Amino acid sequence: MKVEFKARRLDLLRMHLDVIREAFKQAVAPDRVTVEYPRERKKYPANFRGIIVFDKDKCISCFRCAHICPANAIQMTFYEKAWPGIDYTKCIFCHFCVDSCPTGALRSTKIHDIAFATMGEMKLNAVQMLKAPELTREDSFTVEYVVDPQGWRLEKKAEIDELALEQFIIPEKRRVSVCVDPESCLGCRLCVELCPNDAISVDRKANKLNILPEKCTGCGICVRNCPMKVLELKEVK
Amino acid sequence: MKEIAIDVPVEPPKELESLFLPIPKEYVEEVYRNDEFLILVGPQHPGSGHMRLIVRVKGDVIQEVIPDPGYVHRAIEKIAETRLYVQNIPLVERPAIMDSANLNLGYVRAIEDGMDLEVPERAKYLRTILAELCRIGTHLYDAAILSVFLGHTTGFMYPFGIRELICESLVKMTGARFTSSFIIPGGVRRDVSKEILDWIYSATFAIEKRLRSFERLFIKNPTVVARLKDVGVLSKKEAIEFGVVGPFLRASGVEYDVRKVEPYEAYDKVDWDIVVADDGDSYSRFLVRVNEVAQSLKIIRQCIAEIPGGKVISDQICEGNDIRGEFFEKLAGIVLPAGEFTTLTEAARGSVIYTIVSDGESNVPYRLRVVTPGWLYLRGFMESLKGERLADLQAIYGSFGYFPPEADR
Amino acid sequence: MIEVLIDLIRYFLSILKSNQLDIPLIKPIIALIMKIVAQIPIPYLSNLVDLILAVILWRPLFAVVVMPGLTVLMIYLLYIVWFERKLTARIQWRVGPLEVYRPLRGAIQALADGIRYLFQEAIVHKDAHRPYFVQLPILAFIPVLLPIAFIPAGNVVGIKSPYAVQLTIAFISLIPITVIAIGWASNSRFAFIGSVREALMYVAYEIPFIVAAISMIFLYKSGDPYIIVENQWIPGAILNPLAFLVFLIAMLMATSRLPFEIPEADQEIAFGPFVEYSGILFGLVMVLAYEKLYVMALLFTILFLGGWNGIYISLLGDLNAPIWLTIKTIVVISIIAMVRSMYARYRIDQAIRIGFSWLLAFSMVALAIGVVIGYEGGI
Repeated sequence: MKVEFKARRLDLLRMHLDVIREAFKQAVAPDRVTVEYPRERKKYPANFRGIIVFDKDKCISCFRCAHICPANAIQMTFYEKAWPGIDYTKCIFCHFCVDSCPTGALRSTKIHDIAFATMGEMKLNAVQMLKAPELTREDSFTVEYVVDPQGWRLEKKAEIDELALEQFIIPEKRRVSVCVDPESCLGCRLCVELCPNDAISVDRKANKLNILPEKCTGCGICVRNCPMKVLELKEVK
Repeated sequence: MKEIAIDVPVEPPKELESLFLPIPKEYVEEVYRNDEFLILVGPQHPGSGHMRLIVRVKGDVIQEVIPDPGYVHRAIEKIAETRLYVQNIPLVERPAIMDSANLNLGYVRAIEDGMDLEVPERAKYLRTILAELCRIGTHLYDAAILSVFLGHTTGFMYPFGIRELICESLVKMTGARFTSSFIIPGGVRRDVSKEILDWIYSATFAIEKRLRSFERLFIKNPTVVARLKDVGVLSKKEAIEFGVVGPFLRASGVEYDVRKVEPYEAYDKVDWDIVVADDGDSYSRFLVRVNEVAQSLKIIRQCIAEIPGGKVISDQICEGNDIRGEFFEKLAGIVLPAGEFTTLTEAARGSVIYTIVSDGESNVPYRLRVVTPGWLYLRGFMESLKGERLADLQAIYGSFGYFPPEADR
Repeated sequence: MIEVLIDLIRYFLSILKSNQLDIPLIKPIIALIMKIVAQIPIPYLSNLVDLILAVILWRPLFAVVVMPGLTVLMIYLLYIVWFERKLTARIQWRVGPLEVYRPLRGAIQALADGIRYLFQEAIVHKDAHRPYFVQLPILAFIPVLLPIAFIPAGNVVGIKSPYAVQLTIAFISLIPITVIAIGWASNSRFAFIGSVREALMYVAYEIPFIVAAISMIFLYKSGDPYIIVENQWIPGAILNPLAFLVFLIAMLMATSRLPFEIPEADQEIAFGPFVEYSGILFGLVMVLAYEKLYVMALLFTILFLGGWNGIYISLLGDLNAPIWLTIKTIVVISIIAMVRSMYARYRIDQAIRIGFSWLLAFSMVALAIGVVIGYEGGI
């Protein structure tokens, strides 16, 4: 497809008139689409990637979120177990951590407008992340964009959008760590030391690993740290 | 025209020595001996972006421009060597955040190339829609910057207003307004429902309607035409010689588009045209991109109409259709076989090249080479400035849509 | 001694009283004030109030200080800055200034900005020519404000002159000199380029502008605003549309508005001659172009739109003419404010080409039309 532009003097006059007509049209009836933000809020979809909240009951301390974070924004701190804390000075809201969480302990909210007083406050720990941050809501309207071939307009509704909704529930998959190649095991006991739930022990006499399935949460720390890669996560029904 | 010269001895100003200019002292002296003048445009100038242009002018006419890029160099290639393959996805989008899907796509395709992944059809269509949305967004952004360079503030506001619909489409699809990190090796992160695709389908018509207002007020504005026409001309021969890419190459009459030459994703299954112009001046560079927006809208409509069902993530990656909850298991441990994998992708501003060199055993790239279009057409941009007036610098700058963060990487 | 002083004041008062504004609407109010004042037992108070009222309502002073002079100019400045932003925002799908007092839709935004300028530090940089740098923004007001003394509004007039139109044009022609001097005193690259551009633009618009005005003087056979306005039972815009067009475009060029915003081009030379100013000094130079626009629009209204002709409201008496003149002027400026959001900026050579080719040609044709109509004595 070839594009070209040629204009004679008369065309230029017509173009001038077009400009003036359009400007007057907009001045009289503007196609304005302003969302007056603190007073109105745009409705965001359920999959919106916003501030992350944490559910301590679901967390299995698997460190996956801290490991996958491309910005190194997640730091694990020990409370009852090791729990993640997000540093919002670094977070880029890619939500790889949320997608990585095997139990749905991390989930997104629709909150995207938080002001922190200092840089230090932006570093949230797990306890601060248990609840969605409190907002001073000034909005009384929710605005949605409506598009159709006739154009684009705003639809105002006198309702308040709930921002901290549960949005996606990860289908629970129970996994346990299994030693698949006992012959190659060095007996280094790294897995025993690392296991946060004391689920692994070494049977000296039989010279083999004992993994208690009822204690194992399937966090996979032993799997990732095994120098001989003899451990594996297996799904159990 | 007779040149009138007054012989006034001029000393090169002291400040030119202390500004760490990438030009030798002799060059400065030669310029001042020849009755010429050096103007430093940028990096804090309102019409330069994050780059310094050292402009050698004789009177009002530009003799030569030496670019001094690198003010926003973020060492993306080096950082990529320290991150997992999948962690690099947000990183490679950063050079041009409006164009994130295209840059993301190029990188992911290089990984898929290395791992021999088969991408499901539905994912391919979704990727095409994303890439084209980002292309429209970038072209609108560039049009806005061009118009504010010409002092047309309405032309600045309209494309940004229209771009809101693109952002809304992206947020509905991916959850983020830009830098969506949505394309992952083997497919996309999640399926997109039919309601959202329908919304985007109607949004394309709304965009088209709004663009008509923009056309009357800016594209077909006689003052804009006067500023851009016959300014910064690159002939077909020159454009090829200087290695210009993308819409700027097509504006000089070369019919080359990676999407047609080596089709990827769903580009060979939809019907669209390469937009070409013959003049090679600033206005045709702008017109080509305006018409590419129309073509992109056409592609998006076809993709949404013809999108097949099925999975959005390859069987080789994930058994289910949703990677949520298993992202770490399935993707963190990616190790590419030893070798070099290169892909060529048509981003909004031209072809972007990704080369991954893998040693076959580590889970980070041994080397990642990124060549963004901005870097490729910088030479052509500098050459097209020669012989133009100083006031045209901004017009040509805007017509190339040069984006320093993209070029500097 | 005191007798002499009182005699002097009496004499002064008699001069004032001989040339008072006649406004039926406020006559009862004045009478009421005088009645109240007469009851207050302070010596000479009623005389003092009488004097103050006489000064305010003295025609020449009223014309210069109140209407269409300085007071209206101040209100106009506050209005036009707000209105221009609001109108531009409307065209650009935005809302514009809103948050500075929301019930008034941001109407006092300009006032807030002005106060901010007043309290900001005015930085005089090291390389600037300090005395001129500080003086010139204030000196620039002389050629801008002097024409107001000569432009009449009905029988409200500062200095009555049969050459008022010519004088106003002469004063307007002086303004660019101060702008160029400002650029020189700033001693900065961008300010230099801006000054040179201002000088070039001046060359481009000045001749067509003067020729267009002269064509109207020929048409009415006089430079006296009274004769011009009296003769305009058909507006000058219809009699000589070409002069109207040329004057309008020259007005855009002279006040450096888009598409001729070349001397101040933000993106190219960062506000040109005024790049180094800050604080209240910046506030002063920023309103310079708006004041120039006001003076030119006054002249435009008198030459082309029938000046102070309008529906006579007998209650307002002498105030009729100034009010009509002000309303017409502000309407003209409000329409001109729209051009800002319509056009891109021309390049300097293109603007000069426009000025020297068809703008000059049109002005010459307009001159011919003016001479023909004036010679025939058609009006």
